Amino acid sequence: MTTVTTRTAPAPTAATRRRRRRNALVGWSFVLPNLLGFAALTLVPVAGTFVVAFTDWDSYSSPKWIGLANFRRMRHDDNFWTALQNTCWYAAGHIPLTLAASLGLAVLLNQKLRGVGILRTAFFFPYVTSLVAVAIVWNMLLSPDIGPVNQLLRHLGWSHPPGWTTSTDWSLPALILTSVWRDMGYYMVLFLAGLQTVPAELYEAARMDGAGPWARFWHVTMPGLRPTTFFVTVMLTISSFKVFDLVQVMTEGGPGRSTLVLSQLIFREGITHGRFGYSSAVSLALFVIVLAVTLAQFQIQRRSER
Amino acid sequence: MRRTTTRLLPVALAATLFGAAACGGGGGSGTTSDGRTVVKIALWNYQTTPEFKALIDGFEAKYPKIDVQPVDILADDYPDKVTTMLAGGDKTDVLTMKNVTDYARYATRGQLLPLTGAVAGLPDKSAYAGLADYDLAGQYYALPYRQDFWVLFYNKKLVGDADVSHLTWSGFDSLAKQLTKGSGASKTYGTYLHTWRSVVQAVASAQTGGDLLGGDYGWMKDQYGIALDVQKAGATLPFATASSQKTTYDSQFTTGKAAMVPMGTWWAAALLAEKAEGKNPVDWGMAPLPQTTADGKTVTFGSPTAFAVNKKARNADAAKQFVEWASGPEGAAVLAKIGLVPSYHDSSVMNTFFGVRDMPTDATSRQAMQPSKVQLEMPVSDKSSDIDQILTEEHELVMTGEKSVDAGIKEMDHRVKTEVQ
Repeated sequence: MTTVTTRTAPAPTAATRRRRRRNALVGWSFVLPNLLGFAALTLVPVAGTFVVAFTDWDSYSSPKWIGLANFRRMRHDDNFWTALQNTCWYAAGHIPLTLAASLGLAVLLNQKLRGVGILRTAFFFPYVTSLVAVAIVWNMLLSPDIGPVNQLLRHLGWSHPPGWTTSTDWSLPALILTSVWRDMGYYMVLFLAGLQTVPAELYEAARMDGAGPWARFWHVTMPGLRPTTFFVTVMLTISSFKVFDLVQVMTEGGPGRSTLVLSQLIFREGITHGRFGYSSAVSLALFVIVLAVTLAQFQIQRRSER
Repeated sequence: MRRTTTRLLPVALAATLFGAAACGGGGGSGTTSDGRTVVKIALWNYQTTPEFKALIDGFEAKYPKIDVQPVDILADDYPDKVTTMLAGGDKTDVLTMKNVTDYARYATRGQLLPLTGAVAGLPDKSAYAGLADYDLAGQYYALPYRQDFWVLFYNKKLVGDADVSHLTWSGFDSLAKQLTKGSGASKTYGTYLHTWRSVVQAVASAQTGGDLLGGDYGWMKDQYGIALDVQKAGATLPFATASSQKTTYDSQFTTGKAAMVPMGTWWAAALLAEKAEGKNPVDWGMAPLPQTTADGKTVTFGSPTAFAVNKKARNADAAKQFVEWASGPEGAAVLAKIGLVPSYHDSSVMNTFFGVRDMPTDATSRQAMQPSKVQLEMPVSDKSSDIDQILTEEHELVMTGEKSVDAGIKEMDHRVKTEVQ
């Protein structure tokens, strides 16, 4: 027979309570500036967007409550649907290509090769370069008549190479190409970190079972990288739907509306045309889309873990 | 307790700094330490736009108790930045109105101080070119200080003996082809047609009477025909290349790559400034803008540039004083001295203009400065910015060959009628 005795904690003394309060106060005082910053620069503007989306505010005169009119207008706005379509196409190209390129690079540069450090730095370098500089350089590289890319393509026998940023068919692929080139180094670093967490014993065991390089990649590396892949996919999804700066500098949404994306439409409606109400409504739509896609990804991840 | 205080102190300091930073936007005193009234003026590219420094220096010389301080903004970002500043309650005293469309936006939203009284007090309104463009139902909220219009700049050496004084657009087309020489990196183009839609659309509107806001753009067809023909013949840098390279019209002309460039009169001041700094060796002249019909009249388009006073100006009275001075005869004299066309004009102002060192003074250049009619580049309306967006997008597609002229015009008609409510 076993006797179980429970010991109750002694009641805190006044000095302990004072110490706990003081510790709590110190803790709060450390997070308070950050919380204030978050509230002032993120929480309040986001909450404001929710309210402004139901008004016809022009940023200066008093806002007028118009209910769902902005959202009804969105349904019939050709620019909105074009921007949504372009954003989805951009995401559909940017996410898988960046994922594949960064994973491939990480696996390649995870080997013990000579000069691997230099190569890792070289691939990471575009990410820390000013995006405006990247956009300008790629605009020059992809220039239809005198750009080196088309000169090379002509040399290889393609007599009428793409107009890239000046062609409605190729402008979005040109943007995707540029953004993949810029982002792959950053996500490569994340995958490299993920690869360090895959136990070497698993590779050993697989090798002893006669698994070749591909089998080891599919059955050891990929499952081991699942959390990193999920994180990278979520981050890529969010950044793809929010893309703005690269498009603004490289094509300004053109030619025509072929690269008009949702973030650009938000900027254009609010700042250029002074329709902050409608601009906020489009922001809200973008927020809902990104939230829905991200939640769906979490759901899929949860299911695959079961 | 002392330890708690020691821990809290840096945090409290950080919070105070954060608060100060958050509340500090658009702040600043209304006077300098020596008691002068501060007038802040929103402008663009201060270092490379000589007019602003000239006007500020001229005004401060006359009113030493006022300190005019520039708020420098990148030219391309200027309208967006000013819109954002005003939305945030910025107190910058004077706002430069880069174009009439933006002016109408700010004025109709009640963001500018009325200047109707100042206009009523002008002794001779007809001496102020472009003033009428600022009339919003009898009220004025800005005073123009510059009135630019488009002429044809040409490189005297490359054009040679060709007569550019009475060109039609078809004559311009032929001459551009004729002046195109060489190939590859050493190629010299007969002309350079910049990527702005106005190069085609505003020309056509001014010279055919077409309405840019009307939603029926068939009148643009001939002008697009000229622009595309020049491009097809290789007599100008292709639109697609200029657009992707973000080519500047100045670089094409001052490096001797293009013989003729249609552009606004503001460029003369920049060319003179470059020449004074030894950056521009081109011997250039101005000619009237080529015309659709050879009836002897010169119809061109242009846009005035104005100063307005922010409704939330910290020193509104001093700001008004600056605006009135800059747009009046004294400001005009300052502008003419650096080769800009002021809004206020009389014979002495034009004499000053042509008296500027290195300014071409030949008969054709003088003729270029006296057009028969200057039409506003874009009519003022609450629909202007929406229509401008559509026309720009379709212009790009036509000029890059993505759409035929007919298809582009049809789409302009359709989109302006259906999208602009």
